[in-house]
Amino acid sequence: MRLYLCGFLLLLLDDLSVCVSSSSSSSSSSSSSPSPDFVDCIRASEECNLSPQCSSRYRIMRQCLVGKDWNSMLANKECQAALEVLQETALVECRCKRGMKKELQCLQNYWSIHMGLSEGEDFYEASPYEPLPPVRLTDAVRLASIISSMNTGSGKAQSHCSDPSGTCNQCLDATKACNLNDNCKRQRSNYISTCTRSECNRKRCHKALRQFLERVQSQYSFGLLFCSCQDQGCAERRRQTIVPTCAYEDKQKPNCLQLRKTCRLDPFCRSRLADFHTHCQMSDDSISTCPNDDYQACLTAYTGLIGTDMTPNYEDANHTDFSISPWCSCRNSGNQEEECEKFLRDFRENTCLRNAIQAFGTDITKTTASTNPEAARSNPTANPNITKLEYDENGLKCSPVKGFICAEEEDSIGTEEKPEWSPSNWSIGLKLRTEAWMLSLLFAVGNAAL
Amino acid sequence: KRTKRAKKGTKPCSLTDKEMTVSQLGLGYVSDEVILFRYCSGKCVASRRNYDLALAKLKGQRLLTRENMDRARHSPCCRPTAYEEITFLDNRSQYHTIQEVSALKCACV
Repeated sequence: MRLYLCGFLLLLLDDLSVCVSSSSSSSSSSSSSPSPDFVDCIRASEECNLSPQCSSRYRIMRQCLVGKDWNSMLANKECQAALEVLQETALVECRCKRGMKKELQCLQNYWSIHMGLSEGEDFYEASPYEPLPPVRLTDAVRLASIISSMNTGSGKAQSHCSDPSGTCNQCLDATKACNLNDNCKRQRSNYISTCTRSECNRKRCHKALRQFLERVQSQYSFGLLFCSCQDQGCAERRRQTIVPTCAYEDKQKPNCLQLRKTCRLDPFCRSRLADFHTHCQMSDDSISTCPNDDYQACLTAYTGLIGTDMTPNYEDANHTDFSISPWCSCRNSGNQEEECEKFLRDFRENTCLRNAIQAFGTDITKTTASTNPEAARSNPTANPNITKLEYDENGLKCSPVKGFICAEEEDSIGTEEKPEWSPSNWSIGLKLRTEAWMLSLLFAVGNAAL
Repeated sequence: KRTKRAKKGTKPCSLTDKEMTVSQLGLGYVSDEVILFRYCSGKCVASRRNYDLALAKLKGQRLLTRENMDRARHSPCCRPTAYEEITFLDNRSQYHTIQEVSALKCACV
Protein backbone atom coordinates (compact mmCIF):
# COMPACT_ATOMS: atom_id res chain seq x y z
CA MET A 1 0.00 0.00 0.00
CA ARG A 2 2.74 2.39 0.98
CA LEU A 3 4.73 1.54 -2.11
CA TYR A 4 1.76 2.08 -4.27
CA LEU A 5 1.16 5.49 -2.72
CA CYS A 6 4.73 6.57 -3.33
CA GLY A 7 4.68 5.31 -6.85
CA PHE A 8 1.61 7.34 -7.49
CA LEU A 9 3.18 10.44 -6.00
CA LEU A 10 6.25 9.97 -8.14
CA LEU A 11 4.08 9.99 -11.21
CA LEU A 12 2.21 13.02 -10.03
CA LEU A 13 5.47 14.80 -9.40
CA ASP A 14 6.81 13.83 -12.76
CA ASP A 15 3.80 15.08 -14.66
CA LEU A 16 3.63 18.34 -12.77
CA SER A 17 7.30 19.10 -13.04
CA VAL A 18 7.26 18.39 -16.74
CA CYS A 19 4.63 21.11 -17.02
CA VAL A 20 6.72 23.45 -14.91
CA SER A 21 9.84 22.89 -16.90
CA SER A 22 8.17 23.25 -20.24
CA SER A 23 6.65 26.56 -19.30
CA SER A 24 9.50 28.09 -17.35
CA SER A 25 12.49 27.24 -19.48
CA SER A 26 12.27 25.79 -22.92
CA SER A 27 15.99 26.01 -23.51
CA SER A 28 17.25 23.52 -20.98
CA SER A 29 14.78 20.72 -21.54
CA SER A 30 15.13 20.66 -25.30
CA SER A 31 18.83 20.12 -25.12
CA SER A 32 19.38 19.48 -28.81
CA SER A 33 19.87 23.20 -29.13
CA PRO A 34 21.66 24.65 -26.09
CA SER A 35 20.45 28.11 -25.26
CA PRO A 36 23.06 30.36 -26.85
CA ASP A 37 23.68 28.84 -30.24
CA PHE A 38 27.38 28.52 -30.72
CA VAL A 39 28.98 28.30 -34.08
CA ASP A 40 31.67 25.67 -34.12
CA CYS A 41 35.13 27.02 -34.72
CA ILE A 42 35.61 25.18 -37.99
CA ARG A 43 32.52 26.83 -39.43
CA ALA A 44 33.52 30.17 -37.96
CA SER A 45 36.94 30.14 -39.56
CA GLU A 46 35.45 28.98 -42.87
CA GLU A 47 33.09 31.91 -42.75
CA CYS A 48 35.96 34.19 -41.92
CA ASN A 49 37.93 32.91 -44.87
CA LEU A 50 35.07 33.87 -47.18
CA SER A 51 35.43 37.51 -46.32
CA PRO A 52 38.71 38.99 -47.60
CA GLN A 53 38.98 41.45 -44.75
CA CYS A 54 38.44 38.85 -42.02
CA SER A 55 40.70 36.25 -43.59
CA SER A 56 43.64 38.59 -43.92
CA ARG A 57 43.33 39.71 -40.29
CA TYR A 58 42.99 36.13 -39.19
CA ARG A 59 46.21 35.26 -40.98
CA ILE A 60 47.99 38.22 -39.42
CA MET A 61 46.69 37.27 -36.01
CA ARG A 62 47.98 33.74 -36.30
CA GLN A 63 51.37 34.98 -37.36
CA CYS A 64 51.38 37.39 -34.45
CA LEU A 65 50.88 34.57 -32.00
CA VAL A 66 53.71 32.43 -33.25
CA GLY A 67 56.52 32.48 -30.77
CA LYS A 68 55.52 35.71 -29.10
CA ASP A 69 54.18 36.47 -25.71
CA TRP A 70 51.12 38.55 -25.15
CA ASN A 71 52.83 41.85 -24.41
CA SER A 72 55.17 41.89 -27.35
CA MET A 73 52.24 40.96 -29.54
CA LEU A 74 50.19 43.89 -28.33
CA ALA A 75 53.12 46.18 -28.92
CA ASN A 76 52.75 45.45 -32.59
CA LYS A 77 50.21 47.84 -34.09
CA GLU A 78 49.23 45.48 -36.86
CA CYS A 79 48.54 42.64 -34.47
CA GLN A 80 46.47 44.89 -32.26
CA ALA A 81 44.39 46.04 -35.22
CA ALA A 82 43.86 42.48 -36.37
CA LEU A 83 42.66 41.48 -32.95
CA GLU A 84 40.20 44.34 -32.85
CA VAL A 85 38.69 43.38 -36.18
CA LEU A 86 38.45 39.72 -35.27
CA GLN A 87 36.65 40.50 -32.06
CA GLU A 88 33.67 41.55 -34.14
CA THR A 89 33.40 38.19 -35.90
CA ALA A 90 31.91 34.83 -35.00
CA LEU A 91 35.39 33.51 -34.32
CA VAL A 92 35.43 34.99 -30.85
CA GLU A 93 32.25 33.26 -29.76
CA CYS A 94 32.91 29.93 -31.41
CA ARG A 95 33.02 26.67 -29.45
CA CYS A 96 33.68 22.99 -30.11
CA LYS A 97 31.72 19.84 -29.29
CA ARG A 98 33.16 16.94 -27.37
CA GLY A 99 33.94 14.08 -29.70
CA MET A 100 32.90 16.03 -32.80
CA LYS A 101 34.32 15.33 -36.23
CA LYS A 102 37.64 17.14 -36.63
CA GLU A 103 37.63 18.00 -32.96
CA LEU A 104 41.34 18.70 -32.96
CA GLN A 105 41.08 21.09 -35.87
CA CYS A 106 38.22 22.88 -34.18
CA LEU A 107 40.22 23.24 -30.99
CA GLN A 108 43.23 24.48 -32.90
CA ASN A 109 41.06 27.15 -34.46
CA TYR A 110 39.67 28.03 -31.07
CA TRP A 111 43.05 28.49 -29.45
CA SER A 112 44.48 30.31 -32.43
CA ILE A 113 42.24 33.19 -31.53
CA HIS A 114 41.77 32.68 -27.81
CA MET A 115 45.45 32.44 -27.16
CA GLY A 116 45.43 36.13 -27.95
CA LEU A 117 42.42 36.97 -25.85
CA SER A 118 43.64 35.46 -22.65
CA GLU A 119 46.93 36.27 -21.04
CA GLY A 120 48.18 32.82 -21.83
CA GLU A 121 49.39 32.33 -18.29
CA ASP A 122 46.00 32.22 -16.60
CA PHE A 123 45.56 29.71 -13.84
CA TYR A 124 42.13 28.77 -15.11
CA GLU A 125 41.19 29.00 -18.76
CA ALA A 126 37.68 29.08 -20.17
CA SER A 127 36.46 25.84 -21.71
CA PRO A 128 36.41 25.76 -25.51
CA TYR A 129 33.55 23.28 -25.35
CA GLU A 130 29.88 23.95 -25.68
CA PRO A 131 28.18 23.94 -22.31
CA LEU A 132 26.41 20.69 -21.57
CA PRO A 133 22.66 20.74 -21.19
CA PRO A 134 22.01 21.07 -17.50
CA VAL A 135 20.83 17.91 -15.82
CA ARG A 136 17.52 18.49 -14.21
CA LEU A 137 15.60 16.80 -11.51
CA THR A 138 12.68 16.02 -13.79
CA ASP A 139 14.89 14.11 -16.18
CA ALA A 140 16.47 12.31 -13.29
CA VAL A 141 13.16 11.17 -11.87
CA ARG A 142 11.89 10.08 -15.24
CA LEU A 143 14.98 8.06 -16.02
CA ALA A 144 14.99 6.57 -12.58
CA SER A 145 11.64 5.04 -13.25
CA ILE A 146 12.89 3.54 -16.48
CA ILE A 147 15.93 2.14 -14.77
CA SER A 148 13.99 0.68 -11.91
CA SER A 149 11.68 -1.04 -14.32
CA MET A 150 14.65 -2.41 -16.19
CA ASN A 151 16.29 -3.78 -13.09
CA THR A 152 13.27 -5.51 -11.78
CA GLY A 153 11.69 -6.30 -15.10
CA SER A 154 14.33 -8.44 -16.75
CA GLY A 155 16.40 -10.67 -14.56
CA LYS A 156 19.41 -10.16 -16.80
CA ALA A 157 20.40 -6.79 -15.44
CA GLN A 158 19.98 -7.89 -11.85
CA SER A 159 23.11 -7.19 -9.87
CA HIS A 160 24.29 -9.16 -6.93
CA CYS A 161 24.34 -5.91 -4.98
CA SER A 162 20.60 -6.37 -4.60
CA ASP A 163 21.22 -9.64 -2.85
CA PRO A 164 21.70 -8.80 0.82
CA SER A 165 23.54 -12.02 1.64
CA GLY A 166 26.33 -11.70 -0.90
CA THR A 167 29.11 -9.15 -0.80
CA CYS A 168 28.54 -6.25 -3.10
CA ASN A 169 31.26 -5.30 -5.54
CA GLN A 170 29.90 -2.50 -7.62
CA CYS A 171 32.93 -2.38 -9.88
CA LEU A 172 32.51 -6.05 -10.70
CA ASP A 173 28.88 -5.37 -11.51
CA ALA A 174 29.86 -2.50 -13.78
CA THR A 175 32.29 -4.80 -15.58
CA LYS A 176 29.57 -7.37 -16.01
CA ALA A 177 27.24 -4.76 -17.44
CA CYS A 178 29.96 -3.78 -19.90
CA ASN A 179 30.73 -7.38 -20.84
CA LEU A 180 27.10 -8.05 -21.62
CA ASN A 181 26.95 -5.08 -23.97
CA ASP A 182 28.62 -5.89 -27.27
CA ASN A 183 29.88 -2.41 -28.02
CA CYS A 184 31.25 -1.81 -24.55
CA LYS A 185 32.88 -5.23 -24.47
CA ARG A 186 34.57 -4.70 -27.82
CA GLN A 187 35.83 -1.21 -27.00
CA ARG A 188 37.02 -2.24 -23.57
CA SER A 189 38.79 -5.26 -24.94
CA ASN A 190 40.38 -3.01 -27.55
CA TYR A 191 41.93 -0.52 -25.12
CA ILE A 192 42.97 -3.20 -22.66
CA SER A 193 44.80 -5.19 -25.29
CA THR A 194 46.45 -2.02 -26.62
CA CYS A 195 47.49 -0.90 -23.15
CA THR A 196 48.74 -4.29 -21.94
CA ARG A 197 51.08 -5.13 -24.81
CA SER A 198 54.47 -6.20 -23.60
CA GLU A 199 55.98 -2.85 -24.59
CA CYS A 200 53.67 -0.11 -23.42
CA ASN A 201 53.06 2.40 -26.16
CA ARG A 202 51.58 5.20 -24.17
CA LYS A 203 50.36 7.26 -27.10
CA ARG A 204 48.44 4.37 -28.59
CA CYS A 205 47.11 3.35 -25.20
CA HIS A 206 45.84 6.87 -24.58
CA LYS A 207 44.24 6.96 -27.98
CA ALA A 208 42.45 3.66 -27.38
CA LEU A 209 41.24 4.91 -24.02
CA ARG A 210 39.88 8.09 -25.56
CA GLN A 211 38.15 6.01 -28.19
CA PHE A 212 36.59 3.82 -25.54
CA LEU A 213 35.28 6.83 -23.62
CA GLU A 214 34.02 8.46 -26.79
CA ARG A 215 32.24 5.49 -28.29
CA VAL A 216 30.78 3.78 -25.27
CA GLN A 217 27.64 5.05 -23.63
CA SER A 218 28.57 6.78 -20.43
CA GLN A 219 26.31 4.61 -18.32
CA TYR A 220 28.89 1.88 -18.90
CA SER A 221 32.12 3.87 -18.80
CA PHE A 222 31.06 5.89 -15.76
CA GLY A 223 30.03 2.68 -14.04
CA LEU A 224 33.54 1.33 -14.48
CA LEU A 225 35.26 4.56 -13.48
CA PHE A 226 33.13 5.74 -10.58
CA CYS A 227 31.80 2.61 -8.92
CA SER A 228 31.75 2.87 -5.15
CA CYS A 229 33.62 0.31 -3.12
CA GLN A 230 33.40 -1.40 0.24
CA ASP A 231 36.54 -3.46 0.04
CA GLN A 232 40.03 -3.24 -1.31
CA GLY A 233 39.56 -5.71 -4.14
CA CYS A 234 36.85 -3.55 -5.55
CA ALA A 235 38.89 -0.37 -5.14
CA GLU A 236 41.83 -1.99 -6.86
CA ARG A 237 39.62 -2.98 -9.76
CA ARG A 238 38.41 0.61 -9.98
CA ARG A 239 41.97 1.89 -9.96
CA GLN A 240 42.92 -0.60 -12.66
CA THR A 241 40.14 0.51 -15.00
CA ILE A 242 42.37 2.70 -17.16
CA VAL A 243 45.32 0.23 -17.06
CA PRO A 244 47.43 2.62 -14.95
CA THR A 245 50.74 0.84 -15.54
CA CYS A 246 50.67 2.05 -19.12
CA ALA A 247 48.23 4.96 -19.25
CA TYR A 248 49.05 6.64 -15.95
CA GLU A 249 52.27 5.70 -14.23
CA ASP A 250 55.68 6.66 -15.53
CA LYS A 251 59.26 6.19 -14.42
CA GLN A 252 59.34 9.62 -12.89
CA LYS A 253 56.74 11.94 -11.45
CA PRO A 254 57.13 15.30 -13.14
CA ASN A 255 56.34 18.57 -11.43
CA CYS A 256 52.67 19.43 -11.84
CA LEU A 257 53.28 22.85 -13.31
CA GLN A 258 55.71 21.33 -15.77
CA LEU A 259 53.07 18.78 -16.69
CA ARG A 260 50.53 21.54 -17.12
CA LYS A 261 52.93 23.34 -19.43
CA THR A 262 53.27 20.20 -21.54
CA CYS A 263 49.53 19.77 -21.54
CA ARG A 264 48.91 23.35 -22.65
CA LEU A 265 51.17 22.90 -25.65
CA ASP A 266 48.72 20.33 -26.98
CA PRO A 267 45.41 21.94 -27.97
CA PHE A 268 43.50 18.79 -27.10
CA CYS A 269 44.94 18.38 -23.62
CA ARG A 270 44.70 22.10 -22.98
CA SER A 271 41.01 22.10 -23.90
CA ARG A 272 40.18 19.13 -21.73
CA LEU A 273 42.01 20.67 -18.79
CA ALA A 274 40.18 23.95 -19.28
CA ASP A 275 36.92 22.01 -19.44
CA PHE A 276 37.76 20.21 -16.21
CA HIS A 277 38.54 23.48 -14.48
CA THR A 278 35.31 24.97 -15.76
CA HIS A 279 33.01 22.19 -14.62
CA CYS A 280 34.72 20.82 -11.53
CA GLN A 281 35.88 24.02 -9.94
CA MET A 282 34.92 24.23 -6.32
CA SER A 283 32.66 27.10 -5.42
CA ASP A 284 31.12 28.15 -2.14
CA ASP A 285 27.90 29.26 -3.80
CA SER A 286 26.37 25.83 -3.98
CA ILE A 287 26.06 23.11 -1.38
CA SER A 288 27.44 20.47 -3.72
CA THR A 289 30.37 22.87 -4.34
CA CYS A 290 30.01 22.18 -8.07
CA PRO A 291 29.23 24.89 -10.62
CA ASN A 292 25.42 24.95 -10.92
CA ASP A 293 25.30 21.79 -8.80
CA ASP A 294 25.86 19.88 -11.99
CA TYR A 295 27.63 16.66 -11.06
CA GLN A 296 27.25 15.16 -14.51
CA ALA A 297 29.11 18.01 -16.17
CA CYS A 298 31.99 17.55 -13.75
CA LEU A 299 32.18 13.81 -14.32
CA THR A 300 32.12 14.31 -18.08
CA ALA A 301 34.89 16.88 -17.89
CA TYR A 302 36.90 14.56 -15.64
CA THR A 303 36.60 11.62 -18.04
CA GLY A 304 37.59 13.99 -20.84
CA LEU A 305 41.03 14.24 -19.28
CA ILE A 306 41.62 10.49 -19.47
CA GLY A 307 43.85 9.74 -22.41
CA THR A 308 45.71 13.05 -22.29
CA ASP A 309 49.04 13.91 -20.68
CA MET A 310 47.04 15.07 -17.69
CA THR A 311 45.31 11.68 -17.26
CA PRO A 312 43.99 11.51 -13.69
CA ASN A 313 43.46 8.35 -11.68
CA TYR A 314 42.88 7.01 -8.20
CA GLU A 315 46.15 7.17 -6.34
CA ASP A 316 45.69 3.92 -4.43
CA ALA A 317 43.24 1.12 -3.71
CA ASN A 318 41.89 2.67 -0.56
CA HIS A 319 38.22 1.79 -0.30
CA THR A 320 37.24 3.98 2.63
CA ASP A 321 38.48 7.16 1.06
CA PHE A 322 39.81 7.92 -2.38
CA SER A 323 42.30 10.38 -3.66
CA ILE A 324 42.62 11.44 -7.27
CA SER A 325 45.60 13.00 -8.95
CA PRO A 326 47.37 13.29 -12.27
CA TRP A 327 50.79 11.64 -12.37
CA CYS A 328 52.73 14.57 -10.92
CA SER A 329 53.92 16.04 -7.67
CA CYS A 330 54.89 19.47 -6.36
CA ARG A 331 58.48 18.61 -5.72
CA ASN A 332 60.99 20.94 -7.34
CA SER A 333 58.47 23.73 -7.64
CA GLY A 334 60.88 26.43 -6.50
CA ASN A 335 59.13 29.71 -5.97
CA GLN A 336 55.97 28.42 -7.60
CA GLU A 337 55.19 25.94 -4.87
CA GLU A 338 52.01 27.70 -3.89
CA GLU A 339 50.65 27.72 -7.42
CA CYS A 340 51.57 24.08 -7.85
CA GLU A 341 49.79 23.10 -4.64
CA LYS A 342 46.76 25.03 -5.76
CA PHE A 343 46.77 23.19 -9.05
CA LEU A 344 47.09 19.79 -7.39
CA ARG A 345 44.39 20.59 -4.84
CA ASP A 346 41.86 20.83 -7.68
CA PHE A 347 42.33 17.11 -8.11
CA ARG A 348 43.24 15.81 -4.70
CA GLU A 349 41.02 17.88 -2.47
CA ASN A 350 38.29 18.77 -4.87
CA THR A 351 35.02 18.44 -2.97
CA CYS A 352 33.00 18.98 -6.14
CA LEU A 353 34.67 16.08 -7.92
CA ARG A 354 34.52 13.95 -4.79
CA ASN A 355 30.82 14.60 -4.25
CA ALA A 356 30.08 13.96 -7.89
CA ILE A 357 31.84 10.58 -7.82
CA GLN A 358 30.24 9.58 -4.55
CA ALA A 359 26.80 10.64 -5.72
CA PHE A 360 27.21 8.56 -8.85
CA GLY A 361 28.16 5.51 -6.81
CA THR A 362 25.30 5.81 -4.37
CA ASP A 363 22.83 6.23 -7.18
CA ILE A 364 23.81 2.90 -8.60
CA THR A 365 23.40 1.17 -5.28
CA LYS A 366 19.99 2.66 -4.94
CA THR A 367 18.81 1.74 -8.38
CA THR A 368 20.19 -1.76 -8.31
CA ALA A 369 19.05 -2.36 -4.78
CA SER A 370 15.50 -1.60 -5.66
CA THR A 371 13.25 -4.58 -5.37
CA ASN A 372 10.10 -2.65 -5.73
CA PRO A 373 7.95 -4.40 -8.29
CA GLU A 374 4.90 -2.30 -7.56
CA ALA A 375 6.49 1.01 -8.44
CA ALA A 376 8.41 -0.47 -11.32
CA ARG A 377 5.33 -1.85 -12.92
CA SER A 378 3.24 1.24 -12.52
CA ASN A 379 5.77 3.76 -13.82
CA PRO A 380 6.33 2.74 -17.43
CA THR A 381 2.66 2.30 -18.10
CA ALA A 382 1.98 5.80 -16.93
CA ASN A 383 4.68 7.33 -19.12
CA PRO A 384 4.20 5.40 -22.33
CA ASN A 385 5.70 7.98 -24.63
CA ILE A 386 8.86 8.25 -22.58
CA THR A 387 9.40 4.55 -22.28
CA LYS A 388 8.89 4.08 -25.98
CA LEU A 389 11.39 6.78 -26.77
CA GLU A 390 14.18 5.78 -24.51
CA TYR A 391 13.57 2.16 -23.78
CA ASP A 392 14.55 0.36 -26.91
CA GLU A 393 18.04 -0.98 -27.33
CA ASN A 394 19.28 -3.50 -24.79
CA GLY A 395 16.38 -2.82 -22.55
CA LEU A 396 17.68 0.55 -21.53
CA LYS A 397 19.13 3.22 -23.68
CA CYS A 398 20.46 6.34 -22.14
CA SER A 399 19.00 9.26 -23.90
CA PRO A 400 21.94 10.79 -25.73
CA VAL A 401 20.36 14.19 -25.49
CA LYS A 402 20.55 14.21 -21.75
CA GLY A 403 24.00 12.79 -21.72
CA PHE A 404 24.30 10.01 -19.27
CA ILE A 405 21.81 10.37 -16.52
CA CYS A 406 21.19 6.72 -16.66
CA ALA A 407 21.94 5.88 -13.10
CA GLU A 408 19.90 8.35 -11.24
CA GLU A 409 18.01 8.69 -8.06
CA GLU A 410 15.47 5.97 -7.74
CA ASP A 411 14.32 5.01 -4.35
CA SER A 412 13.36 8.18 -2.61
CA ILE A 413 12.61 6.41 0.65
CA GLY A 414 15.80 6.23 2.64
CA THR A 415 18.09 8.94 1.35
CA GLU A 416 18.96 10.02 4.86
CA GLU A 417 22.28 8.23 4.94
CA LYS A 418 23.78 10.35 2.16
CA PRO A 419 23.54 14.02 3.00
CA GLU A 420 25.01 15.32 -0.29
CA TRP A 421 22.20 13.91 -2.29
CA SER A 422 19.35 15.03 -0.10
CA PRO A 423 16.29 16.72 -1.60
CA SER A 424 17.11 20.12 -0.15
CA ASN A 425 20.37 20.20 -2.07
CA TRP A 426 18.63 19.28 -5.23
CA SER A 427 16.11 22.02 -4.84
CA ILE A 428 18.82 24.60 -4.42
CA GLY A 429 20.67 23.30 -7.39
CA LEU A 430 17.67 23.28 -9.61
CA LYS A 431 16.22 26.51 -8.32
CA LEU A 432 12.75 25.37 -9.06
CA ARG A 433 10.62 25.96 -6.08
CA THR A 434 7.66 24.01 -7.29
CA GLU A 435 9.67 20.91 -7.76
CA ALA A 436 11.32 21.31 -4.43
CA TRP A 437 8.01 21.68 -2.77
CA MET A 438 6.63 18.64 -4.49
CA LEU A 439 9.68 16.63 -3.60
CA SER A 440 9.60 17.55 0.06
CA LEU A 441 5.98 16.58 0.13
CA LEU A 442 6.88 13.28 -1.38
CA PHE A 443 9.54 12.73 1.21
CA ALA A 444 7.27 13.71 4.02
CA VAL A 445 4.72 11.19 2.89
CA GLY A 446 7.37 8.58 2.35
CA ASN A 447 8.77 9.07 5.84
CA ALA A 448 5.38 9.17 7.45
CA ALA A 449 4.49 5.93 5.79
CA LEU A 450 7.65 4.35 7.10
CA LYS B 1 2.79 -33.39 -42.33
CA ARG B 2 5.63 -31.04 -43.00
CA THR B 3 4.32 -28.31 -40.74
CA LYS B 4 3.96 -30.77 -37.95
CA ARG B 5 7.54 -31.83 -38.31
CA ALA B 6 8.71 -28.24 -38.52
CA LYS B 7 6.98 -27.41 -35.29
CA LYS B 8 8.40 -30.40 -33.54
CA GLY B 9 11.88 -30.04 -34.98
CA THR B 10 14.62 -28.63 -32.81
CA LYS B 11 16.13 -25.26 -33.60
CA PRO B 12 18.69 -25.04 -36.38
CA CYS B 13 22.36 -24.46 -35.74
CA SER B 14 22.83 -21.02 -34.21
CA LEU B 15 24.72 -18.93 -31.68
CA THR B 16 23.68 -19.30 -28.06
CA ASP B 17 25.09 -17.54 -25.05
CA LYS B 18 25.54 -18.12 -21.38
CA GLU B 19 26.58 -15.75 -18.62
CA MET B 20 29.40 -17.16 -16.57
CA THR B 21 32.45 -16.11 -14.60
CA VAL B 22 35.89 -16.41 -16.12
CA SER B 23 36.81 -18.98 -13.46
CA GLN B 24 33.98 -21.21 -14.61
CA LEU B 25 35.56 -21.47 -18.06
CA GLY B 26 38.01 -23.90 -16.52
CA LEU B 27 41.01 -22.51 -18.35
CA GLY B 28 42.94 -21.88 -15.17
CA TYR B 29 42.24 -18.19 -14.87
CA VAL B 30 40.83 -16.96 -11.59
CA SER B 31 38.49 -14.04 -12.02
CA ASP B 32 35.03 -13.22 -10.76
CA GLU B 33 34.36 -11.12 -13.81
CA VAL B 34 31.16 -12.19 -15.54
CA ILE B 35 31.42 -12.68 -19.28
CA LEU B 36 29.04 -13.78 -21.97
CA PHE B 37 30.25 -17.10 -23.31
CA ARG B 38 28.87 -17.73 -26.79
CA TYR B 39 28.69 -21.18 -28.32
CA CYS B 40 27.09 -22.97 -31.26
CA SER B 41 24.24 -25.40 -30.89
CA GLY B 42 21.36 -26.74 -32.93
CA LYS B 43 20.58 -29.28 -35.61
CA CYS B 44 22.13 -29.42 -39.04
CA VAL B 45 19.46 -31.56 -40.70
CA ALA B 46 18.64 -28.97 -43.34
CA SER B 47 22.17 -28.71 -44.63
CA ARG B 48 22.75 -32.38 -45.31
CA ARG B 49 24.34 -33.03 -48.70
CA ASN B 50 24.11 -36.02 -50.98
CA TYR B 51 27.27 -37.18 -49.31
CA ASP B 52 25.53 -37.40 -45.97
CA LEU B 53 22.55 -39.24 -47.36
CA ALA B 54 24.72 -41.71 -49.21
CA LEU B 55 26.87 -42.28 -46.17
CA ALA B 56 23.84 -42.84 -43.98
CA LYS B 57 22.58 -45.38 -46.44
CA LEU B 58 25.93 -47.15 -46.51
CA LYS B 59 26.01 -47.33 -42.76
CA GLY B 60 22.41 -48.52 -42.62
CA GLN B 61 23.15 -51.34 -45.06
CA ARG B 62 26.25 -52.29 -43.11
CA LEU B 63 28.36 -51.94 -46.21
CA LEU B 64 31.09 -50.30 -44.16
CA THR B 65 33.27 -52.16 -41.74
CA ARG B 66 32.59 -51.47 -38.08
CA GLU B 67 35.82 -49.47 -37.63
CA ASN B 68 35.03 -47.10 -40.43
CA MET B 69 31.46 -46.79 -39.36
CA ASP B 70 32.33 -45.49 -35.91
CA ARG B 71 34.19 -42.53 -37.24
CA ALA B 72 32.07 -41.59 -40.21
CA ARG B 73 29.47 -38.93 -39.49
CA HIS B 74 26.55 -38.66 -41.84
CA SER B 75 25.41 -35.25 -40.66
CA PRO B 76 27.17 -31.89 -40.64
CA CYS B 77 28.26 -30.53 -37.26
CA CYS B 78 27.23 -27.22 -35.81
CA ARG B 79 30.56 -25.53 -35.13
CA PRO B 80 31.94 -21.99 -34.80
CA THR B 81 33.43 -20.56 -37.97
CA ALA B 82 34.73 -17.41 -36.28
CA TYR B 83 35.89 -16.82 -32.74
CA GLU B 84 36.17 -13.95 -30.37
CA GLU B 85 38.73 -13.05 -27.74
CA ILE B 86 37.91 -12.35 -24.12
CA THR B 87 39.63 -9.67 -22.09
CA PHE B 88 39.35 -9.48 -18.34
CA LEU B 89 41.01 -8.46 -15.09
CA ASP B 90 41.79 -11.42 -12.86
CA ASN B 91 41.49 -11.47 -9.09
CA ARG B 92 45.16 -10.58 -8.74
CA SER B 93 44.69 -7.41 -10.78
CA GLN B 94 46.33 -8.69 -13.93
CA TYR B 95 44.75 -8.15 -17.30
CA HIS B 96 44.49 -11.13 -19.62
CA THR B 97 43.31 -11.68 -23.15
CA ILE B 98 42.33 -15.18 -24.20
CA GLN B 99 42.13 -15.68 -27.94
CA GLU B 100 39.45 -17.71 -29.68
CA VAL B 101 37.48 -18.57 -26.60
CA SER B 102 34.00 -17.48 -27.54
CA ALA B 103 32.13 -18.19 -30.75
CA LEU B 104 31.24 -15.37 -33.08
CA LYS B 105 29.58 -17.19 -36.01
CA CYS B 106 28.19 -20.67 -36.43
CA ALA B 107 27.71 -22.92 -39.41
CA CYS B 108 27.02 -26.51 -40.28
CA VAL B 109 30.33 -27.88 -41.47
